[in-house]
Amino acid sequence: MAVEPPDERRAFLKLVTAGLGAVTAALAVVPGLGFLAGPARGAAGKGGANPLRVATERDVKPNRPLRVTAVGPQEDAWLRLDKVTLGSAWLVRTVEDGPIRAFSTVCPHLGCGVDYDEKAGKFNCPCHTSAFDLDGRCLSGPAPRGLDELETHVEGRDVLVRYQRFRVGTSKREPIG
Amino acid sequence: MSADRPASHGPSGTKRTFREWLAERIGLEELGNTIRAGQVPGGASLWHTLGSVAAGLFVLEALTGVFLATAYTPSVTGAWASVAFIQDQMAFGWFVRGLHSFGSSALIVVAGLHLLQVLLFGAYRRPRELNWMVGLALFGMVAVFALSGYLLPWDQKGYWAKLVEATIAGSAPAVGGSAQRFIQGGAAFGTLTLTRAYALHAMALPALLTALLGFHIYLFRRHGHTPKWSLSTEEAAARAVPAWPDQAIKNALVGFLAWGVVAVAVIQRHGAPLESPADPTSSTLARPEWYALPLFQLRMFFEGPLEIVATMIIPGVVTAVAFALPFLDRGPSNQPRHRRPVMVASALGLLALTALGVTAIARDARDPAYAKARAEETARTETARRLALKGVPADGNVFRNDPTYHAREIWDERCAGCHGLAGAGGEKGPDLKGYNSRAWIRGFLANPDGPLHMGPAKIEKGMRPVEATPEEMDALVEYVYAETGAADADTAKAGRGRDLLSPKDCDTCHDFDGEGENEGPNLKGRGTAKWVAGVIADAGHPLLFTDRNKMPKFRGKLTADEIDEMTKFVLGLKGR
Repeated sequence: MAVEPPDERRAFLKLVTAGLGAVTAALAVVPGLGFLAGPARGAAGKGGANPLRVATERDVKPNRPLRVTAVGPQEDAWLRLDKVTLGSAWLVRTVEDGPIRAFSTVCPHLGCGVDYDEKAGKFNCPCHTSAFDLDGRCLSGPAPRGLDELETHVEGRDVLVRYQRFRVGTSKREPIG
Repeated sequence: MSADRPASHGPSGTKRTFREWLAERIGLEELGNTIRAGQVPGGASLWHTLGSVAAGLFVLEALTGVFLATAYTPSVTGAWASVAFIQDQMAFGWFVRGLHSFGSSALIVVAGLHLLQVLLFGAYRRPRELNWMVGLALFGMVAVFALSGYLLPWDQKGYWAKLVEATIAGSAPAVGGSAQRFIQGGAAFGTLTLTRAYALHAMALPALLTALLGFHIYLFRRHGHTPKWSLSTEEAAARAVPAWPDQAIKNALVGFLAWGVVAVAVIQRHGAPLESPADPTSSTLARPEWYALPLFQLRMFFEGPLEIVATMIIPGVVTAVAFALPFLDRGPSNQPRHRRPVMVASALGLLALTALGVTAIARDARDPAYAKARAEETARTETARRLALKGVPADGNVFRNDPTYHAREIWDERCAGCHGLAGAGGEKGPDLKGYNSRAWIRGFLANPDGPLHMGPAKIEKGMRPVEATPEEMDALVEYVYAETGAADADTAKAGRGRDLLSPKDCDTCHDFDGEGENEGPNLKGRGTAKWVAGVIADAGHPLLFTDRNKMPKFRGKLTADEIDEMTKFVLGLKGR
């Protein structure tokens, strides 16, 4: 029987050693990466019990946008919260006793909170100077679309809003979660 | 400058590889050569794999630990909830957590075997004395790692085991109180206990252990493997082989097996156990992990003021002797027969640890109280884990998710003052254990003023005991039972009971049509949800217990939803 030259045998052993090491590491690394990827793939925190009561109807005056907060239950990873601030919205009414519209305060550009400039009568984003009119249309600035309108309706004296988040930075409006 | 010399060519004009480029800057090749250099005197051996396999398992712990840290929350309200989320809801969570938990056990086993191998080979002797001490310190760190990690899920076993350990630290003379407060981060167990354990487990110890392990490996590389005692220095040198790959492949193979065994155990048991959330008010079984059982058992032999012998003196002396071993061992060579006291002491120590551990396990296995407590904990664990799937409330109390939880709170506050729930009788009203069951109804009919029924209410001119033959009684019980809407009621028998209502004078005080207002309750639909809700709302209603009623009205005190919850709660008592 021919004896293998030790150098060749050792070259093979080195390969096997490296291979074993890689397989061993993969035992923990592969499932670990799956573990890391899981939440990234998953849906955002779910807000249940929508629509939420945000204001009393008579508090919404014509051409005086009212900033309201949506408070409701939320599921976030292992947490189940009963009352948490989900976000805020501008309630806008252009005619006395006319219909009320709601716009998310999240700027569709990069997600800052949009303010209302009373003097100019338009919404301004303090971060990158996007401006929007009372119908939510983008007047100027880098925002790729107008303000995101939220479903709203009046029930008795209460204004209810279906609070939702949308992907920012795109011209198309895509809900998240 | 000639145009035909691109920038990728070195000064000599030859094409340079990226490897060479890198080698010039960081000397990767040299580093690799240094790592791979070295001979194993006496030849490669499975004995020599243990150290690197232990180091490999530490890498497993580090990797999985980082993964787990991405989801774990070190707070008393979030710790258990986040671990339950990892275990039961996250992709591969049970597997990664299982590797981390079982990997730590494997690390203790392999590090222990490594220590025994060093003892057997005499590898602690000159010039390796310091490395022996560093190794012992590493072993101690692994133990602290394990103990601190055990607490992090903030479940029953982790909480109570750690509480006992902190109390033991507190029993140390002079410094005990301060030590306990230091571990706990205050006078009692709480938030800071957990954040401290977490900082220790996930930050301080990994850094310290990595540094010390580096030193351990450096010293090992300096002195090399200790060959088998039977080989002379010349023989060992003659049989020397390159560590890479001759020893390395053995290390890799055993390392792979160790990780593989851990992974298989994780799959078989579907991950590491997670008990129910820590409950400081519960009486529970504080049992440490398997590796601490010998110490746990040792304490059993020393009671009262002598306990310190088991908790401090014996472990302290053993540790001191272990550290001093290289200087105590005066044997002329590495031959085990020249180091008989060391060999005998090591063997006896191992035997004692095993015997203590086995005794602890055997005692629990025989103990019916232990089995009962285990079964209770298992049931509590299953409930908690199931309820956690709905998300845990911010206060961390997962049991709030139980629909009867709120009802139970109302019961404790509003009902328990008068009614019993344990079958021992109420203060001023009926005991509702088994309410609506045939047995409860039979008890009522046979003795309405008995201690479990209307007795404590002290109703004047209340109901008289029903006098009937056993067959008649069965029929009457079945009639009342059928009125509750029970699906398993025997209609024929209930019909016979109905025929007895008049002959037995029941109809003197009761009506049975849902309309008649007599002295006693109208028994139509008695015990149904609607009827029970009516009693809770207003038991003195003319169709119910009329003006003889003594139970307060709860309409107005409880909301309609709460009355509904209480009704479900009361109806749920039937099976208890």
